[in-house]
Amino acid sequence: MSGFTDPNALSERVKAIPGGDMLMMCYSCGTCTSKCMIQTKLESSYNPRRLIREAVFNMDEAAFADKTTWLCTACDLCYPACPQKIHISGVINAVKALAVESGEKTPYQVARVDESTCVACGLCEKVCPYDAIRMVEKRVAFRGNISVASVDQGKCMACGMCTAACRSTSIRLTQDYNDAELMDSLWSWLGAERANS
Amino acid sequence: MVDAARQPLIEVKTYTEVEKVEGYVGNFVVTLREKAKYVRADRCNGCGACTKACPVEIPNYFEMYLAPRKAAYIPMSQAVPLIYNIDMDACIHCYKCVEACGALEAIDFSMEDKLVEQEIGAIIVATGFGHFDPSPMVEYGYGRFPNVITAMEMERLNNSAGPTHGALVRPSDGKSPKHLAIINCVGSRDKRYNSSCSNFCCMYAIKNALLLKQMHPDTEISIYYIDIRTPSKGYEEFYDRAREAGIRFIQGRPSEITEDPDTHQLFIASEDITLGKVIEREYDMVMLNQAAVPQPDQNHMSSVLNVAQSPGGWFMEYHPKLRPMDSPTDGIFFAGACQGPKDIPASVAQGSAAASRASRILHSDSWQIEPTVAVVWPDRCVSANGQACGICSRACPYGAIDYTKGLAAEVITAKCHGCGACVGECPHDSITQLHFTDAQVLAQIRTLLAVEPEKKILAFRCQWCSYGGADLAGTSHFEYSANERGLRVMCSARMDADLIYEAYRLGAGAILYSGCHPQDCHYITGQIAGAKRAARLEKMFERMQMSPGRFRVEWISAAEGDKYARVINEMQASLDAIPEDVLNAEIQRLRPEMEKKLTKLGNVPGVAQAMVQVDFIVDEMISKEKVA
Repeated sequence: MSGFTDPNALSERVKAIPGGDMLMMCYSCGTCTSKCMIQTKLESSYNPRRLIREAVFNMDEAAFADKTTWLCTACDLCYPACPQKIHISGVINAVKALAVESGEKTPYQVARVDESTCVACGLCEKVCPYDAIRMVEKRVAFRGNISVASVDQGKCMACGMCTAACRSTSIRLTQDYNDAELMDSLWSWLGAERANS
Repeated sequence: MVDAARQPLIEVKTYTEVEKVEGYVGNFVVTLREKAKYVRADRCNGCGACTKACPVEIPNYFEMYLAPRKAAYIPMSQAVPLIYNIDMDACIHCYKCVEACGALEAIDFSMEDKLVEQEIGAIIVATGFGHFDPSPMVEYGYGRFPNVITAMEMERLNNSAGPTHGALVRPSDGKSPKHLAIINCVGSRDKRYNSSCSNFCCMYAIKNALLLKQMHPDTEISIYYIDIRTPSKGYEEFYDRAREAGIRFIQGRPSEITEDPDTHQLFIASEDITLGKVIEREYDMVMLNQAAVPQPDQNHMSSVLNVAQSPGGWFMEYHPKLRPMDSPTDGIFFAGACQGPKDIPASVAQGSAAASRASRILHSDSWQIEPTVAVVWPDRCVSANGQACGICSRACPYGAIDYTKGLAAEVITAKCHGCGACVGECPHDSITQLHFTDAQVLAQIRTLLAVEPEKKILAFRCQWCSYGGADLAGTSHFEYSANERGLRVMCSARMDADLIYEAYRLGAGAILYSGCHPQDCHYITGQIAGAKRAARLEKMFERMQMSPGRFRVEWISAAEGDKYARVINEMQASLDAIPEDVLNAEIQRLRPEMEKKLTKLGNVPGVAQAMVQVDFIVDEMISKEKVA
């Protein structure tokens, strides 16, 4: 039968990526969805089961636009709960990799490198839990051909580990959560705590 | 059981274990352990005075540990025979029961287990199924949350003879639950525990829900399911009735049950698949519809009876569709869930079928078996000369070969099904198979390869699958190379390495080694033995630098005529790809290597004479053809 399927179909491409190979085993029981912390605490439209269906039926556009594709943190709470032993975050990651490959960008923030100050020490590469940072050779204005950190937008989950680790404050998250804002909110929180006690 | 015990020709032996089964169809000798009851059957009148007097209380297994029982007890009120029993593991030897029994003197602490040998004509195994213990599934909290119970516990709670006399109460506070959830597929259809479907739980959940709804109309009942499976007659109508009665069906497998530790109320979060949203609902009590699993001692029974087990652990039937009530061993039959989870109608049907099969044996003086049985040449068997071997005995899928070091291996003919696995495996050619002796098969190989062997594709086919596949290719008019020469043996396990070597020695162009797909094998594990040998041969020929495509292994079912034709055509193509001089040089180069492996073949009884005769006949035929 496999001879009749289009190797360029989304489902086939997802299956070809390590982690996405169990895609077709899903029988849609919904355990992953109700187990998920993002779905229950943060974003009610988040639904890994639906994303798997979208991938099974080759719905590229719907899958790439689905918030599930971009919000999974690969905490793997769903993995041990899945009765079909599907590594769900692996499937989601595969879909995400394909989305990035076809030019989609995450609607959420990612870490950004300030190339004018990055010294390519590699600390961020080491701490990144999503394997999203690589050191690359590139031409940087006023600095010539140098090695700098580069963030894979498809892999970055905006956890901020790199920002915390960077010694030269050259990598940061795009919107909020910059150091000053974080310190402000920390101080205000501490102040409130002091007032309460 | 009470009815069966009243039949004069049925002897019910309860509290008895099967220790050993020897012999064969019609002539089994079964050793039974009649366990000591410490109560004499000939004196006990079932009055129950001992139970009243007994001071020991332990959890009652029959009530799913929801109620106590005494150390002097009957397991249930319908027990057959109605004789009391003293549980020696719990007894404190106060002898109050002896006093209570009084003049009857039925209680006898000196009783011991008795081993009894019995001659049996046929055996029906009806050991049933066990229950999956959901406590390893921490997400459902069974064992931690008092109001999460299993289906079997619900069965006792809801039974008028049960511990609550039929009152449905929740274990934490004894109150009647108003919101009840039933969760299906607990431990079944779950690759972490049992990947198979337990067959009857959907209907069982609906039955329980309807029953509870009838008795407690104000109770709200929800059933969580992945799929509802109602495949038999009248089942879907039953499902309809449940929905009409107001039972709520929620498609979505709950990921977790949480509990309020003060009130012991339960909360279930699940995705409602149809809504695509997570819903959380509160319940007073949750019933887990746990998986049906093989009995805890199924492995032990399997070795006692010498019947194989299917991958899930259930007893393996002779054929899943055509002979589901027969075991692969003649004279042993299965009834009910010991062969695989099934509901009551299916169990009754299988039980009746097994009974009629068994009665056929009991009513006949002789028993027909396949004529292709294995026979040992005792003088050639190395075991008789004191060498340790036993390869044939291990190769036999049916346990039909007795091996004792120092004695020649012995085939129990009535148990032999004629696959030839022992013949294929015996390294000393000391065992043969009637109608498929080495001499007979070699004679066929010689004839098939008599003329221009280097152009031939010799196909070894098993009787049940690949031979059928080749047949189908013919009757369906699928065209394939005319250079193919087919040769039938009973099973791929019979395809002895010697036969392959001899074919190559004679100069065969290519050889196909084909048989059933592993799950289709007619001889339990015959194909597995065949596949192992084929893999060994493949490696060896690769080391010998045989051209690729000259030895091919394919598993072809009787329905795969197109595959058979395709494989043969592909083999022809790869044979054509080898230049003639290269092929001939290779055949010449490999001939001495093959001869080295075949030095003993001429000593096999019948082979040398057969070869002389075959060569004579073949020569005569060829010369006649030339004249014509």
